[in-house]
Amino acid sequence: MYVYLYDNFLRQKKYDSVIKAVEVRLTDYGIAGKILRLNNFIDPKQIIDDEIKRGAKTVVIVGNDATFGYVLSRAATCDCTFGFLPIGPSNTISEVLGIQTGIEACDVLSKRRKESLDVGWMNNRYFVSQLHVLPAKLKVVYDERFAVTANEKMEVIVCNLQPFYWKKDKKDVSEQVVHPQDGKLEAFLRPLTKQGWWGYKYEDPSVFPFEEMEIVSDSPFTVEADGKVSKEVKVKIKLAHGKIDMIVGRNRKF
Amino acid sequence: MIFQKSTSKNVVEEEMPQYETPAGTERVDEVETVVGPSVNVEGDFASEGNIIIKGTVSGSVHTSRFLAVEQGAKIMANVRAGTAKISGEVKGNLKIRETLELTSSAKILGDIETRVLSVEPGALLFGKISMPGIEGAETRSAKPRVTRRGEETAEAGE
Repeated sequence: MYVYLYDNFLRQKKYDSVIKAVEVRLTDYGIAGKILRLNNFIDPKQIIDDEIKRGAKTVVIVGNDATFGYVLSRAATCDCTFGFLPIGPSNTISEVLGIQTGIEACDVLSKRRKESLDVGWMNNRYFVSQLHVLPAKLKVVYDERFAVTANEKMEVIVCNLQPFYWKKDKKDVSEQVVHPQDGKLEAFLRPLTKQGWWGYKYEDPSVFPFEEMEIVSDSPFTVEADGKVSKEVKVKIKLAHGKIDMIVGRNRKF
Repeated sequence: MIFQKSTSKNVVEEEMPQYETPAGTERVDEVETVVGPSVNVEGDFASEGNIIIKGTVSGSVHTSRFLAVEQGAKIMANVRAGTAKISGEVKGNLKIRETLELTSSAKILGDIETRVLSVEPGALLFGKISMPGIEGAETRSAKPRVTRRGEETAEAGE
């Protein structure tokens, strides 16, 4: 049995036609199922657990990167197969998973090509897409073997499934991107150096693939993981292998 | 055409510097570690993939694959790698399994052990170089030790 979790933004009128077309296609394939709408007051883990008890085997997330991160960061431990129907703007994870945006995603879903995905573990919660530490005076310790520091502030981005885009400076027209590989987390460290009186300039990023790392600072720093923001002094990030069973496309990037 | 979207986002893959490894060695470009400028690394820095160093590293560096030390980079550590191309400064011993390439801006303070060595004019080097492949090199170096020991034992006997 299939359960579909729709994001709240899909209520907007402009998505009506796409949603209708998707629903028709899913019915054609015989994989239509119960539709649940997410909002800020719903805990995805609880409703997924309830649906699993009622016999659901596949949970399909319908929305964008934010929806994907919101659901999977909370429901990574649920014992079911996950699917993804990317709709609307800001869909970068779908590209990595090899799922086209819109109605074509139904074809991928119907083929049920399953892969185990790794999940990032941060302090006491999971993250699937990206973890972002805003610029601060940080010390990063990798696998308890070596430490990385910068002279000034440093920004850290840990990628799992969501690719990281960066620009060298404001004049840089082309956005630069590195696609994360599956099997390891990738950390991008961008030190900031002072420029002029009050300006800061981003240096070229350092890239470290890792399985475990610790970010430490004397003062609290802001961490954003899958859209959830918190202040921490010490963050331990690990990789949990093969936590999520996910339906992926043929053109996936891992 | 005015409203044409910018080119695909995978631009970096083309723009990232491509390091040519010496012929005969294979490089797997899957995992790559980059130590950027103005970043300091301390401790046992080891990686399974290729390493590109543009900043400062102290402790030890180890990779079984390719190591590139760019101009302006500083390494105060013993280095072990599969192949290496050095354009920066290294204070420590280098143990390279295959090929070591020193460019004109390279500065090495330490002993080198490698199979193939190429040095560009202008590279600065202070240390001992040992390369396997010369027959009798080991026995020659071993001989004086034997005599010294013999002398020592003779002295002890007296």
